[in-house]
Amino acid sequence: MSDCRSVTDRLAAYADAKLPPAEREEVERHLAACPPCRNEASLESGGRTVIRARAGQFRAEPLPPGLRSRCEALAASAQAGGAARRPWLSRLVPAAVAAMVVILVGGAVFFVAAQRSDVLFAAQLTADHTVCFRGHGPADAPELDAAQVEAQLAREFGWSLQVPPSRAQDGVHLIHARRCLSPEGLVPHLLYRVNGEDVSLYVLEGVTRRDADVITFGHRSRIWTRGDTTFVLVSSASAGSHLDAAAEYLMQEAR
Amino acid sequence: MSLASDALGYLEPLYAVALRLTRNRADAEDLVQDTYVKALRSAHQFRPGTNLKAWLFTILHNTWRNRVRDDTRRQVTVDVDGDRVDEAAGQDAAGAPETPERILLRASLDADLQAALDELPEAFRTAVWLRDVEELSYADIAAVVGVPIGTVMSRISRGRKMLFQRLSASQVKMVS
Repeated sequence: MSDCRSVTDRLAAYADAKLPPAEREEVERHLAACPPCRNEASLESGGRTVIRARAGQFRAEPLPPGLRSRCEALAASAQAGGAARRPWLSRLVPAAVAAMVVILVGGAVFFVAAQRSDVLFAAQLTADHTVCFRGHGPADAPELDAAQVEAQLAREFGWSLQVPPSRAQDGVHLIHARRCLSPEGLVPHLLYRVNGEDVSLYVLEGVTRRDADVITFGHRSRIWTRGDTTFVLVSSASAGSHLDAAAEYLMQEAR
Repeated sequence: MSLASDALGYLEPLYAVALRLTRNRADAEDLVQDTYVKALRSAHQFRPGTNLKAWLFTILHNTWRNRVRDDTRRQVTVDVDGDRVDEAAGQDAAGAPETPERILLRASLDADLQAALDELPEAFRTAVWLRDVEELSYADIAAVVGVPIGTVMSRISRGRKMLFQRLSASQVKMVS
């Protein structure tokens, strides 16, 4: 005669018909004689039936636009030996990949850091900036702790970048940290709100470019290189000079 | 066929489970991207012939768990395995007992089911998802979430039961 505990421990396997015949009979005998356990078994069976009936529906959740193509590009680059050696950029970017400049409809973007043209490089980051800020409305953007973000990025990806913290007197608030996917791997993308404006800071380690300041799609991209890392600050072109103090702060603190 | 291309075949299930864990599309997308990059980087650790889907889910779950642990806005402190959380859920389901057949006929089922799933404690939600939607074995689920098989089975049972109770309760609310 089995006690309730030993039966409830096996109810999942019972519902899944995974119990050997002797055990199944034992459980059934107990359920026949024990109303509380019978109730548990019936509730579990009900839940199992309902979710399995709709499992196909849930599994078929459509991917967000661009996710698959970004992963495919990463797979191609990994197979070409690029990403394997340097997590997120190889200087020896294959010519085919370097020539690939694709801005996909629906706002999905992947960008290639070795893109020679400043305008095309900035345009891709601008498109990514717009997409990433969707879904971060002013109401639901709590401030993040820069030190925690740094620690997390260091621990998970081995990145040692310095994340400029929020700075109230300049109206600078760190609201999100993303890892944007390019064919070469992941790129840290820090999202700030500055006096209500969306401002992005991208950090591309292992990339060196000449400094530039360009306007694309109504956004201003400030591009500069420090050591072997290129930084890009993206903001609305119409924001005007009231962003300058914040921009200067972020440009100084990023490293 | 390489792991990189094989893994692409599992993007949809990865995204679906990421969505259940994060309950937020942007975070789910980030989580899948991170998982894919990490999978490529540790491709050499995957033993060919073993369950690739389970391996990918393990990376995803570990990545998510580390993130949640660090995020002070969303502390995971409830020890659901010891806690009697399911008893409280049962008390909400007053009124005529529902049958699975009646629930399955409900027009709002998918929305109700999604809501009921998302309200489950994460440990139960993940166990039920991996078992009943992805049909992983108990052993694979135990490997993905890093707990003993007995705990997995207990979470599956309690998760399924809570799910059913919430679905029954939501119907009761609609009628009254």
